[in-house]
Order: sequence, then C-alpha cells, then structure tokens
Amino acid sequence: MQQRSNLQIPSGVQCFYGREAHLRKEVERRVGEVFSGWSYEEIIVPLFDYFEVFARGGGPSFTDHIYRFIGRNGELLALRPDFTALVAKVVASRMQDRSLPLRLFYSGEVLRYQPPQAGHQKELFQIGLEHIGDGLAADLEVLLVAFEALDRLGVNDAVVTLGHAGFVLGILEESQVPAEARPQLLEAMRYRDADRVDDILGRKAPPEVMEAMRLFGGPEVLERARAIAQHPGSQEAVARLHSVATELEALGLGHRLQLDLGEVRGFDYYTGMVFEIYAPGTGLELGGGGRYDSLLGKFGVPLPAVGFSLSLDRLSQRVKDHLGTSREAAPEAIVLGKQPSRGLAEALELRRQGMKVRIS
Amino acid sequence: MSQSIKLALPTGRIFGETVDLLTRSGFALPEDVRQARRLHITNGGNQSSVLVKDRDVPTYVEHGVVDAGIVGHDVLAETNPDVYQPLDLGIGCCEMVVARSKGQTPGAYRDLPIVRVATKYPEVTFRHFHGHGIPVELILLSGSVELAPMLGLADCIVDLVQTGRTLAANGLEVDEVLFRSTARLIVNRASFRLKGRLVGEFIASLAREVGR
Repeated sequence: MQQRSNLQIPSGVQCFYGREAHLRKEVERRVGEVFSGWSYEEIIVPLFDYFEVFARGGGPSFTDHIYRFIGRNGELLALRPDFTALVAKVVASRMQDRSLPLRLFYSGEVLRYQPPQAGHQKELFQIGLEHIGDGLAADLEVLLVAFEALDRLGVNDAVVTLGHAGFVLGILEESQVPAEARPQLLEAMRYRDADRVDDILGRKAPPEVMEAMRLFGGPEVLERARAIAQHPGSQEAVARLHSVATELEALGLGHRLQLDLGEVRGFDYYTGMVFEIYAPGTGLELGGGGRYDSLLGKFGVPLPAVGFSLSLDRLSQRVKDHLGTSREAAPEAIVLGKQPSRGLAEALELRRQGMKVRIS
Repeated sequence: MSQSIKLALPTGRIFGETVDLLTRSGFALPEDVRQARRLHITNGGNQSSVLVKDRDVPTYVEHGVVDAGIVGHDVLAETNPDVYQPLDLGIGCCEMVVARSKGQTPGAYRDLPIVRVATKYPEVTFRHFHGHGIPVELILLSGSVELAPMLGLADCIVDLVQTGRTLAANGLEVDEVLFRSTARLIVNRASFRLKGRLVGEFIASLAREVGR
C-alpha cells in the first residue's frame, strides 16, 4: 500500500487561522448575542448519536448524506448532519417539565457527505435556533430574530423568501396527481423544470401546477395564489402567508420579504411556513428554516416548532470585507527575558492585572 | 444601480445554436464571437457572457458568479447541480445511448458477470446499470469513446449521439436510448430571487423564441 504523507488531508475538511478564524468567531459571537437578546438559551448537543435519531428527522434524500459508523457494541452511529433532530431528542428526554415555549439556540459543525464536484464542504458550521411549543405567533418572532442577526453582521440587503409547504401539497391533492408520482413531481418542481413535470405526468400538467412554480414576487402573488388554488390546505397556506407578510409590513420589514410559493425544497420535513435567506453577491443561500410541527411527535412529544439556521461559512464569506479587517489586539506589554525569576515572574504579575502580554 | 444579467455559455457542441438563439431573442453577441478568443463578452441588451467549457457551465451558475447559463441536459444529468432549470430550449438535440458492436445480439452484454462500459458520463452510467442491477466496470475516457469496444477495452459505451454517423463509422450501433438531451436554460437560485424581474424577462424572451 502506498504510504500517505502525514500532511495529506481528506477531501472536504477545512481549517481556519489568523484573520479567518477571528472573523468566524466574531460572526458566531454577534449572532449568538442576538439570539440571547431574544432569550434563546444555548444548548450544546453531542457530535454523534444513533443513526436512527437522524433518520427519523429527515427524508431518504437526506439520510444519503449522513456519515455512519459502527460503535464498539455493534450499534449504528452517525455524525450529526444537523442539529434539529438532536435538539428535539433533548427536549423530549430532558425538558419535559419546563414551561413552554422553549427557546433554544445552537452553534457548531455538522457533517454531510457531499460529492466533491458540487463545491460544498463536508464540514459545515451552522448557527441556528428552535422555538418549540408555541403556535403561529412564533413564526413572526423567528423571522424578526433572523433579520436582526443579519443586520448585526451588516448584511442589511439580505432578502427572505417565504413560502408554505401546505400550498403546493394542496395543489397536488386538488389536481389529483397520483400519490406515487408525487415525490418525483416535487423533485421536478424543485428545479422549476416544467418540461420534466409534463414528462412525469405523461400529459400536459394542470395549469395550477405550472402556475405554482411561477408564484414568486411581492404580496401581489398571494392574489394569484388564492385564485388558482381551491384546496383548503392551499387556501389556509395563502391566508397564513398573507398574515405574516402583513405583520412584517407593519413592522417596517416588508421590503425585505419576497414570497415564493413555488419553492418545495425540504417539503418532506416542513409542515408550514418555509423560508430561505439570500443576499446580493452570494450565489448560495445564507440560511433558511421553517415550521416543522411533526418532528417532535416522532420523539414522543407532539409539540409544534419553528426554527432556522444560518451558514457560518457563507456568512463569513459575505462579511469578510467589512468585518474581516479587525485583528487580534496587539499586546499591551512585551516582557523581556524567559528566566523564571525575572521575565516570567513579571509576566505573571502583568497577567494578574489583566494585561495582554508577550514574552520576547 | 441598474441590474444586468451575466450568462455562462458553453463553447462546445451547442455553441453555434446557442449564439443563434440568443441573437434571435434580442441579445445579439458580437459578430466576431465565433473567432475571438476573448472569454468575457458583452451581449446586446443588459447582458454579458463568459464562454466556458460545457461541463463547467453548471459550476459557474451554481456558485452564482453568473446568473444563468445554457447547457445540455446530458451535463445536468451527469453533474446534478442545485440550480433552477426553467426552460427546455429545444436546441442541440441528442440522445444518450448505450451502444455496442454491430452484429452483437441486442442486450447480450447484460448477461456478462460484469459489464465493462467506456464513457465520459460515469454518473449516468452507474445510475442506469446499477439501477437495473447490472454490475459495471467503468472505463473513464475523455474522448473518442467509440474506439473502446473495437480495441477490446469495453463491452459497450454510454455516450451522447447526434446523428449516429460516428457510431456507424466505428462499427457500433445503438442498443438502448437512455434519454433525449436538449439544451436547457439554468438559473442560479439567488439570482432567480434577487434579480427576479430581469431574470423573469430573460426567461420569457427565450420562451417566446423557442415557442414554449
């Protein structure tokens, strides 16, 4: 076997130092402060758990990306691919007695296997929050927290695109798309690929399915949405989005909201409002989230929940020009000599006074 | 600030048809675009383009360094990028096929314990053969794939075929068509939103031209 150099790294891993490391810590600190400011409490969860915990949370396309391994006792374990399932498990096992709602935030690496050509790293750093045990009022709260976190980083041109899982699912129900065709159809709609939708259905797709993929823009799209979707689930989704949009408008944030009723990413997971965050100059989304009312139930505590996560990697990229210039502070005292009796004793004394020292 | 759209155009097989389509849709490219060696050009309207290898178009679009691109479905099937694919442009029509030596019994390679397949499309090949439960030994080539069966390097090939003349000239024939491939418009997910109106108008003008 060929000897590997001990400096070789496996693909997909990263390390940060100097200005980059400082920048990432700064982004994490600022976002964490905003989350704390809204009374979200930090939760630190394990790096790995039983595979089954994560499998319960996401759909099959998601479990494909999980790093699995066998534990010492033969159990199937997995490195965490996201935080939400772990938070849900802790809530179910340890926080049953607490009064609701629970406001929790987390920060750390998640690991996902992604083919190298996709240009995505395998280690991703997420900062996010979960609001558990409260109804629809929490939707608006988490959006406000997200906006403030972005502002705190100076990303005040970021736009939130808002949709609702119930809208498209209602349309598929209404247009009597056979249940077995739905996963494939949602996959085609995910790419807004109208021709593939036709192919899958084997006929010209119903106009409301086509129209749904184009329901994108300002509040006016809700009028069009209401007109094309008769299904009660779709109508309820439109009403819900209307109320969130109206409330955000009243709070002076209407200009940072776009509606996108055609987005179906994550529909095996979200049950209500869904959103993604985009900013000019960044081709990939900075974060996203939504309402997932059925996940906690899978851990035995049927509680509604809403949350989102931000990508520290992409946020840091985005803000590096205006946040990345601050460096580590220079030492306040330089102590000469390394003998224990002289230099080090002096350094120790200065440290006790709280000064930053460097021994030379 | 007035917005503009940046495109990635494929310099390969479908370049000519792509230039024609853009020109007909009101986004004329400079006259000398076919000869020039510049990789960054200004189109008519509020557009500019970068000229890149076909396989690289999805990469540029997915990362958002360009807003949209034109690329064959064959490349999308192989690379599976996370981009919107709102429009089939109908140009650059080809078929992705399994081809074998002429005179062999159709599908006979399926009975081999492991099929040696030469291709430029490893993902498409694995998906097809493994999807049917047939083990594959992949022979990855970057061109002249048609040579492989003749030289005994492979039992069959998976490749994109336009007229079938190259196949015939190398003693091969189509055994199975995997899918039809035409050029697609692809759009970055962020640009779709942040430049919604401009991107929407661009999609609409191409859609009118290709009759969709």
